[in-house]
Amino acid sequence: MQNTAKTALVIGAGPAGIEAALKIGQAGYSVILIEKEKQIGGMVGKLCSSFPRWENPQEMLDLKTRELGKFLSNITLLTNTTLKFCEPVEKGYLVILEDSDKELNVKVDAVVLATGFDLFDASVYGEYGYGIYPGVMDALEFENQLKDWSAHKSQTEAPGAIAFFKCVGSRDRSKGNPYCSKICCMYTAKQAGLVKELFPETKCYVFYMDYRSAGKGYEEFVRSVIEEKHVHYIRGRASKVLPQNNRLLVRAEDTLMGIPIEVEVDKVVLATGVIPRKETARLVEAFGINTDQYGFIESEFGSPAKAGKRVFFAGGCNFAIELPGAQYQGAAAAAEVINLFYQDEQEER
Amino acid sequence: MALDSCTNYSLQEEIQRNCDVNLDTCYECGKCSGGCSNGHIFDFTPRKIIQLIKLGQENTLLHMDALWICVACNICWDRCPSSINIPRIMDYLREKAHQQGITATRPQVETFHRLMLDSIYKRGRVAEVPMMIQYNLAIGNLFNESGMAARMLLKGKLRPVLTSVKQIQTVRQMFNNPKKKEG
Repeated sequence: MQNTAKTALVIGAGPAGIEAALKIGQAGYSVILIEKEKQIGGMVGKLCSSFPRWENPQEMLDLKTRELGKFLSNITLLTNTTLKFCEPVEKGYLVILEDSDKELNVKVDAVVLATGFDLFDASVYGEYGYGIYPGVMDALEFENQLKDWSAHKSQTEAPGAIAFFKCVGSRDRSKGNPYCSKICCMYTAKQAGLVKELFPETKCYVFYMDYRSAGKGYEEFVRSVIEEKHVHYIRGRASKVLPQNNRLLVRAEDTLMGIPIEVEVDKVVLATGVIPRKETARLVEAFGINTDQYGFIESEFGSPAKAGKRVFFAGGCNFAIELPGAQYQGAAAAAEVINLFYQDEQEER
Repeated sequence: MALDSCTNYSLQEEIQRNCDVNLDTCYECGKCSGGCSNGHIFDFTPRKIIQLIKLGQENTLLHMDALWICVACNICWDRCPSSINIPRIMDYLREKAHQQGITATRPQVETFHRLMLDSIYKRGRVAEVPMMIQYNLAIGNLFNESGMAARMLLKGKLRPVLTSVKQIQTVRQMFNNPKKKEG
């Protein structure tokens, strides 16, 4: 029944990689799923909640871990493992995988890159004081803060006010990132909403150019945060953070009125944009595939998930993507791999 | 424009409570202002008025010219994608300005409001011709708009004599207890 002659290598065990590995494994082919970190989950494992349904990402990861467990005969999960070397051979690649103490030589018939994205380094913005004022944090640090607050709510003194700055490292030509990072509008709404859920008295200000909420349930999600949780959206990019009265003074323009405004807050959360991972660049070179000018993997014309000869991609290595989108792409890459393996078998028969 | 930087949300809460609106639902799209009958001469258009409320700029709001040139045509409310009752907000601000004894930027408009309310209080209705005469006397320009009045009168558009409604006491209840009708 099972055909395990064909093997796919999936690089990165975030939501996209897990989905790809699961689907390929469930179709009866062998999969090696490698992850450079100790734990699977990628970016999702670091998040406190999800949009647009306020679901716990950990529960989703637990579900996927259980599913992976059911297909262990097909799917080999290797954590702490990276790709050391690869060499194209006929209908596949010879790869060397390495973890801390050993190497594994294996021939794979297809590769799925699911290496994810990184966040923009907010310290590039001197005016925001990231790395200088302790109250200024980037989006992932704040997810961690939210996890901590949720776990120790009773011992936590509610902050008086928090400001969220959108488009930090996105839509900024001067920083070399003219693109919209797509997910920040949604995760900022989520983070501000979570703060109001934990501490209803805390004032939340979101400084925005516009908010982008194209997705099923997304617009309603943002509106509910504004209208029901009373997060204050102020149109205008915050321009400066200064220390004042042991707090942080935020200066911006209310562009709807054309007047300068100032607000004193306890924390500033920078909605840092999405950039390609450095590790992806190395893999791009190794597999000889194309990227755009920023370093995100480009698809071949006409294919949703193909990047090169027997190389496919899914998730954040292609561009900023939210959790469900990463899963769609993982499934799409798996479909391409399964199709390719099926074609191979037809030829071999 | 020398407005104080302000992030006080108590004015927004006060107006939401009294006017049965939720200003957080504002999309900031400007459709209210695009359609506004007198928007071209407003110092602050309806969209900006909502924003001023959010910024707690009470002083600016109570002294603005728009308060007295808004004709309460309801177009802003009708077109608002969030159905925010802006005319009610304008009423509330006018009432508040009046209560605080703030001089209207357009005294004639305030005079007109007062005469109209007087007429309703006394007779339960307004008749255009006596009202116009009263108004013209009050502003000291007896022949104000008289040419148009004559043409309208000939076409039967103006009520020449003022009669009283039968149940004037019912009308006066509105003046005694303006909160009552809101239930």
